[in-house]
Amino acid sequence: MSEAFEPKILGLLCSWCAYGGADTAGVSRAQYPANIRIVRVMCSGRVDPLFIARAFENGADGVLVAGCHSGDCHYISGNSYATDRFTAFSGLLDFFGIDRRRLKLAWVSASEGTRFASVVAEMTEELRALGPLRLKVQS
Amino acid sequence: MTIETELRARASALLAAGTIDIFLGYRQGSNPLRVAPFVARTPAEAERLVWNAVCVPNLAGALQKHAARRVGVALKGCDARSVSQLLRQNQLQRERLHIIGVTCAGMADPEQLAAVAAGPVSGFEADGDELVLTVGSAVTRHARDGLLLTKCATCTSHTPELYDELLGAPVAAAPAVDRFATVRAFEALDAPARLAFWSEQFSKCTLCYACQTVCPLCYCKQCPLTLPRDDPRRQTREPTSVFSYHLMRAAHLAGRCTGCDECERVCPEEIPLSLICRKNEHDALPAHGATEDDRGPR
Repeated sequence: MSEAFEPKILGLLCSWCAYGGADTAGVSRAQYPANIRIVRVMCSGRVDPLFIARAFENGADGVLVAGCHSGDCHYISGNSYATDRFTAFSGLLDFFGIDRRRLKLAWVSASEGTRFASVVAEMTEELRALGPLRLKVQS
Repeated sequence: MTIETELRARASALLAAGTIDIFLGYRQGSNPLRVAPFVARTPAEAERLVWNAVCVPNLAGALQKHAARRVGVALKGCDARSVSQLLRQNQLQRERLHIIGVTCAGMADPEQLAAVAAGPVSGFEADGDELVLTVGSAVTRHARDGLLLTKCATCTSHTPELYDELLGAPVAAAPAVDRFATVRAFEALDAPARLAFWSEQFSKCTLCYACQTVCPLCYCKQCPLTLPRDDPRRQTREPTSVFSYHLMRAAHLAGRCTGCDECERVCPEEIPLSLICRKNEHDALPAHGATEDDRGPR
C-alpha cells in the first residue's frame, strides 16, 4: 500500500440532468478527477438504497447520486422522492458507522458542466481526507 | 376467573357463534416455560389456549398467514402496535379481525427463568407479582420484575391501543423511562467506533434470516436481501454482504418497526438487533422530524 489512496466513487446520474451535465463537462473539456465511475439511471428517484449498500459492499468509498434541480424533474417529483429517501438512509448509514459524507446527493442540470466537475472534484477531495472505507478489512 | 379461562370462554363463544373462522392464540409449548402460536378452529380446540406470564411470541406475523379469513386474536400491547402498523400498510383488513386485547404487565424471559431454575422446570405459574417455579419437588418463588424481557422494562403500552374487547386488570402506567438512552449513547461514539462495533457483531451472523422470518412487518413475498442457499456470499458469510444485509433490513423497516424486539429474541447469535429497532423507532417519532403520515420508505 505504498501508493497514494485514490477514492473510488460510484456516480448514479439521472439521464435528463446530471448525466447531461457530465456530458457537457466532457464536451466543454472541464477537468475533473477520474475517480468517479458513472452509471446512468432514468431518474434519481429510481435509485434504491440497496444500490448504495451494494456499492459500499463492493468496494466503493463514496456514492454520488445526482439528479435534476428541485422542480425540474422530468418525472415531476422523482427528485423529491430521492431527497426524502436519502435523508433517511444517510442517517442509518451514519448509525452503522459509514460517515454520511460518503453518500452525496447533488443537483446538476444538463447545462452545468462546470458545476458537475466541481461537485466531483469536491467530493474526491473530501473522500481523500476521509480515507478508504475498509468495510472488507475491518469486518 | 383468570385471563386464561376468560379467553377460552370468549374464543369458544366467538367460534360457536360463527363470528370468526379461527382464533389465534397460544398453546402450551414443549416445556412449561414455552408457549407456541396456536390456531383454534373449533370451540373444543379453544380449550387448548393458554395465557400465562411467558406468552412472548408476537402473533401479528402469524396473522398475515390467515389474512383471507375472519380471525379472532389475543393481543398484548406490543403485538397490537404491530397489528395497527400492518393495518396502516394495508396488509390486513380491520373488519376481518376480532381483537381481544389483553393488558400486560410485562412478560417473563423464559431463558432467564430457566437459568434461575437450575434444573428442568416441571411447573410454572404467576402469583401476583411473583413467579412460582417447580423443579422436581422443589418450589421456588421469584420476583417478576427482575425476570422481565428487556423490552418490557421500558414498555409504554401495557394496555393495547387497538381492541374490540379488553381482558385483564388495568396496569398502572409505568414511570416514564428513556427508551432511547442506548441509541443516544451509541450515537455519541465516532463513526469508526460504530463501524467497528457493528462489524464485530455482524461477524457472528450466520445469515440464517431468523430476524427477517420472525419480523411481523417484513411482509414482502420476495425479498431482494435474501441470498439463495447456493450463493457463495451466503456460504462464506462474506462480511460485507452480511453488513449490507443488516443495513438494508434496517432501511426497509425504517418507519415500520414497532419495536417488538422479536428479531433480537430469535437471533441465535445474540446480535443486539434491538438497538437498530430503537434507532428506527427514534427516527420515526414526530419529535425527531417524522411527519404524521410517514409510512416508511416509499
